[in-house]
Amino acid sequence: MSKKYWKGVEELRNDAEFVRLKNNEFYENLPLDQVIEKKAQDVNTTPRRDFLKFLGFSVAAASLAACEAPVRKTIPYLIRPDQITPGIANWYASSYFDGYDYCSVIVKTREGRPIKLEGNPLNAVTKGGVNARVQASILSLYDDARYKTPISGGNPSSWEVTDKAIIEKLTAIAVKGGKIRILSSTIISPSTKKVIADFAAKYPTTKHVVYDSVSASAMRQANQESFGLNVIPSYNFDKANVIVALDADFLVNWISPVEHARQYAETRKLNGGKKSMSRHIQVESALSVTGSNADLRIPVKPSQQGAVAANLYNAVAAGTGASAIAASALDAETVKKIASVAKELLENKGKSLVVCGVNNTAIQNVVNGINSLLDNYGTTIDLDNANHLRQGSDTDLTAFLDELNKGEVAAVFVYNSNPVYTLPNGAAFAEALTKKVELSVSFSDRPDETSAVCNYVSPDHHAFESWSDAEPRTGIYSVGQPTIAPLFSTRQAEESLLLWSGNPTNFHDYMAAYWSSAIFSKTSGSWNKVLQDGVFELPAAVTKNYKTSANLNTSAEAIGKMSASGFELVIYEKVGLGNGQQANNPWLQELPDPISKVTWDNYIAVSPKDAREKGWKQGNVVTVKAGTISVKAPVVIQPGQAFGTASLAIGYGRTVAGRVADNRGVNAYPFTSLTGGNINMSVGGVDIQKTADEDYMLAATQTHHTMMGRAIVKETSLAEYIKDPKAGNEDELLTIKVGKGEEVKKKAGDLNLWGDFDNGNHHWGMSIDLNSCIGCGACVVACTAENNVSVVGKDEVNRSREMHWIRIDRYYSSDADPKEGESGDIKKMEDPSDMPRVVFQPVMCQHCAHAPCETVCPVIATSHSSEGLNQMTYNRCVGTRYCANNCPYKVRRFNWFRYTDNPQFDFNMNNDLGKMVLNPDVVVRSRGVMEKCSMCVQRLQDGKLTAKKEGRKLVDGEVKTACAQSCPTHAITFGDYNIPDSELNKMWNPDERSYHLLGELNVQPNVYYQTKVRNIEEGKEA
Amino acid sequence: MSNRYITRHITFLVTVISIALFSFTSANAQDGEALFKANCTSCHAVKEKMIGPALKGIGNRRSEEWLIKWIKNSQAVLKTGDEYAVKIFNDYNKVAMPSFGLKDEEVKAILAYVKAEEQKPDAPVAGAPAGGTTPVQESQPIWLYLLIAASILYLLSAVLGRVQHTLARTVRQNEGLPEPAPKTRWESFRHWFRNNKKLVAVILIFLTLYGSVKGWYSLQSIGISQGYTPEQPIAYSHILHAGDLQIPCVYCHSGAERGKVAGIPSANVCMNCHKYVRKGPTTGTAEIAKIYKALDYDPDKGTYGPNQTPIQWVRVHNLPDLAYFNHAQHYVVGKVACQTCHGPVQDSMTVAGQYSPLTMGWCINCHRTTKVNMAGNAYYNDFHKQLLSKYGADSLLTVQTIGGLECARCHY
Repeated sequence: MSKKYWKGVEELRNDAEFVRLKNNEFYENLPLDQVIEKKAQDVNTTPRRDFLKFLGFSVAAASLAACEAPVRKTIPYLIRPDQITPGIANWYASSYFDGYDYCSVIVKTREGRPIKLEGNPLNAVTKGGVNARVQASILSLYDDARYKTPISGGNPSSWEVTDKAIIEKLTAIAVKGGKIRILSSTIISPSTKKVIADFAAKYPTTKHVVYDSVSASAMRQANQESFGLNVIPSYNFDKANVIVALDADFLVNWISPVEHARQYAETRKLNGGKKSMSRHIQVESALSVTGSNADLRIPVKPSQQGAVAANLYNAVAAGTGASAIAASALDAETVKKIASVAKELLENKGKSLVVCGVNNTAIQNVVNGINSLLDNYGTTIDLDNANHLRQGSDTDLTAFLDELNKGEVAAVFVYNSNPVYTLPNGAAFAEALTKKVELSVSFSDRPDETSAVCNYVSPDHHAFESWSDAEPRTGIYSVGQPTIAPLFSTRQAEESLLLWSGNPTNFHDYMAAYWSSAIFSKTSGSWNKVLQDGVFELPAAVTKNYKTSANLNTSAEAIGKMSASGFELVIYEKVGLGNGQQANNPWLQELPDPISKVTWDNYIAVSPKDAREKGWKQGNVVTVKAGTISVKAPVVIQPGQAFGTASLAIGYGRTVAGRVADNRGVNAYPFTSLTGGNINMSVGGVDIQKTADEDYMLAATQTHHTMMGRAIVKETSLAEYIKDPKAGNEDELLTIKVGKGEEVKKKAGDLNLWGDFDNGNHHWGMSIDLNSCIGCGACVVACTAENNVSVVGKDEVNRSREMHWIRIDRYYSSDADPKEGESGDIKKMEDPSDMPRVVFQPVMCQHCAHAPCETVCPVIATSHSSEGLNQMTYNRCVGTRYCANNCPYKVRRFNWFRYTDNPQFDFNMNNDLGKMVLNPDVVVRSRGVMEKCSMCVQRLQDGKLTAKKEGRKLVDGEVKTACAQSCPTHAITFGDYNIPDSELNKMWNPDERSYHLLGELNVQPNVYYQTKVRNIEEGKEA
Repeated sequence: MSNRYITRHITFLVTVISIALFSFTSANAQDGEALFKANCTSCHAVKEKMIGPALKGIGNRRSEEWLIKWIKNSQAVLKTGDEYAVKIFNDYNKVAMPSFGLKDEEVKAILAYVKAEEQKPDAPVAGAPAGGTTPVQESQPIWLYLLIAASILYLLSAVLGRVQHTLARTVRQNEGLPEPAPKTRWESFRHWFRNNKKLVAVILIFLTLYGSVKGWYSLQSIGISQGYTPEQPIAYSHILHAGDLQIPCVYCHSGAERGKVAGIPSANVCMNCHKYVRKGPTTGTAEIAKIYKALDYDPDKGTYGPNQTPIQWVRVHNLPDLAYFNHAQHYVVGKVACQTCHGPVQDSMTVAGQYSPLTMGWCINCHRTTKVNMAGNAYYNDFHKQLLSKYGADSLLTVQTIGGLECARCHY
């Protein structure tokens, strides 16, 4: 099966603009207007002599300036803390949960500044994985938009004044018996829950309302109805042979993505001669990251999700002999696919898993029914060790909003949530809050839409300035400790609540006391050990099989009533911004969306078919109207989008967040609705009309440079792989003329122009398993944090000047006849593009042994090391960019500007606070030099030195690059070829799946890839 | 330089005077000095209060018998309720003096030493106003002599010129020749210039060459701060600490053993000694007081206050950000002595200065020539064998052969 890949719709359609751009990597003219004064440019009279004078003057000035070195002070500690040695990093176990993302982490600090996060491998839930958002949270710590003092009536205030006022008002309200409400996102900290209980004991009219911006409330309700357990279960994707996900983006967003991604990848890996892998079926409307990894993807409209669940239930029930429920008819193709999926599920009873991300109780009940029929409870679904990461109740929220609108609530405390922005009707909430509530207090650590309308802001510490504990799953705890003294005059929210309830203790003591009384009483443990490890576990409960006791006919009836007309709009979460609370984080804004590769914006994604029919083009501005809600947004043509649907991401359109996020994109939350008791993430009957506005500029990172028409991602099916492990990885043979017209076929690797390098003590390399890579982007953010990669902003991304050292290429596939492609007319391959397969491929510097970049550098700024690295020496570089032109992988990035201390790039490196996140071991590159992946040479040098100091060999796996370390699915393996039994050597098997990217060039990269294998075979739907 | 000079003279004088005055005192004093320094100095000084009282005049205050008992076991004396003992104990924050397993003779020797010490006059301190009795010799700089010589020569030539001029005129007058028309200086210079073209050419060529060479070298030295010895906020002497007292470099610069930065010691490291050593031989209490001030430390009470202000040292070695240098790699792994790069700090640097040029060429040259010793470090085991088979002998293995010239070893 040969496929063609293309990098975007532009390439597929061969737009004139695209054809022009694809031939030039740097297609823009030099930005001379920014160098030469405007006036001179206008009259075009900067004569050569003047230029030479300027030049001469600058040289003279520079030399003179260089003559006198500045006097630099060095200020040592007066009393040096025992554990701090300047120049040596300290690592502290901590824990991160912001009501949305959870990770147990290890924080790297240098001279008291946290600068990098890594996953804590001891944690049973995240097991060392960190996703992009948590990885980037270290920069949110240094956000200069954060509150620096408490706020009272919109003005900076002091703690004494604020505390006094709040306590007075609280007491007055309590005396009157006025209702006090604490509105928060999910809280997984047992100590914080106790603090809230203490507060409620002091002020008995207090009630705690929990809601999640992306709600899973229906699932808890359904589990209550089905099993009498108001919980979200823990899932064991690793025990499932067949995974069916109904609109659940479980790899990157849904409930506990880091955990799911790791489990999922375990079932997809084919290392060590393994010949089986899980089969993954995704039913969804918008093309999600999870859907792009699926073996079979069934696109449906949101209004059909219920019908799909009911039909699947009936198909499974038919196999087990259970009675059927009412189910609406679906189109024949979908029905056929559902029947095939049901067959596979039935073949794997107890080893399958059906998950559903639709926030609808009826659908969730039916899905519970399917899992019951398949005996999945007790194996792949664990109801006895519940997942605590989504505890919001839409019912409580509805009741609270009713009370609020009736004017019954006297005081509202908003903790870790931003209802004005995230509620379906945030504006109404803001009005009620300002007009009908006596006392409103926000604990937000940085300005948001809600804190802006609260009477008081009692700013919380950032997670890495706080003490915290967490129980993400029953019996599994992690503890967070501060890694830096509070940067501003903030106070931990728990301490504020304690103080206001008359208990002026510090939260650390409170938490330690709670642990010794409530947790260590169950299993003995030591507080110091818990702090050091960051984790603590109680014995897990035995997981049991459950059968649903819900009345599925009622659910089926409710599903039968679900219908929508016209276009349907899907509201979804992006990998970068998620629910939008970290929107002011430039790393996340610049992280390309894994699917569309668009940065800095959200947009209306529509299917190519719909776009063709309606005459929409990429970047056209459309008005999207649903009921009374209307927004203007640009169109992105998204293959894989279900026909008749459009999708829009939440997280954008913030108005009070900081200069990075404000008014970027549009807010999608108003399109959600709190109807039928649950927050609904889709809406039907949407009217989309093209406006006469000028096209909107969307900055995407991928359509700029192409390697089309070549076997870049090698791919095969599981059946083929079992037959021949080298399937899909056929060597490219080159025809060589020998002697008198005799022709010989040879492998590229056998033809060498140059001799080999002597290898030194190490020979570094990397293996990238395309079967495990899910495209989540955690590596991109980890690399940015580790290597001081600059944020360049939307305009520069649009000019292809993003600085990321690692990118994840995404290719769509097509089953069109390859001969048509070879004839030169790519347009003929258009047809199957509407529902393509997707592959992800991380590409960083391949560290070629015969590197094309090295030979063309006129100043030897890039050279080869005896350890297999392609070295880049910034201070030798004069910026000819020959190397970038000669690099077949296009991984070299050029600094067009100085991105530090430059108001034109007003991101983290333009202020002292944001610069605190920089890694002091890595140079911040200046304007005019080339840069690229160094394979984290600073980490390698550090690891080598540690081994040398201790007089021992370097152990395999001891040093890792930032990308390999952060990968939640362990798709990237870093290691040393010189260690015979290293993981890297074990993975290298060119007779099976291993191959070099563009191997026919024989540049001998030290990075290699593993062929992607899909679980598709004859007889199975694909 | 001069400080050392003075110090030596003072030390010499003091020693001579002491020997002259007190040579008749008990021979025990010498043993006593060693014993005193080994056992007593952490809490006592002869003339100052420290953790314990000043010992000057102790022989007059208490009997020898009492002192022996007290020094051997102060707790036992306290238990007897001895009034003097209890008072001393209470006055000095109830810090009990530990019992020393000393023999009676040894205690006597210590007391003899104390007696000898208390009779010595206070050592004069340079810079202190009262200490001016010792003549201070300033070494005359050589340029002064040169200047005087030049002035004398100038005067001589002027006088001789005048004499010659007068003689010529007298001759002319005697011979009846007319006075020559007066020439301006410029005319006479041009005249000379025309008559000495070859000489002028040679001089010009020489000047041009000299200027070019000088210019070339001065351009090359731009940005190199070799010899940079800035004045520091505290007149800390490396010669005294690292030289005379032989404190190892890494006692203070302990970061060199562990990582990238050798580090300026924090003030608490200074206090390890200066809690007890309150007066220096060169600057007396003035400089040590600066440490106390920074820490807001009260030497009499032994307490630290809240008004601590960090000491702002001037950084001597400034590597550019683009170069990564790690002390531990060189000092621990490479076993390079500190002095290789920092020079004979202990012998010649009162104030630390930049000894080496710290240029890349300097680094590279060292990496080219320095032999590496891999034996005994298991990290290098296989690599060492591989290198030996390639190069033949250990003596040929330099830092360069193990990749020490590669860019990414220092630049990333």
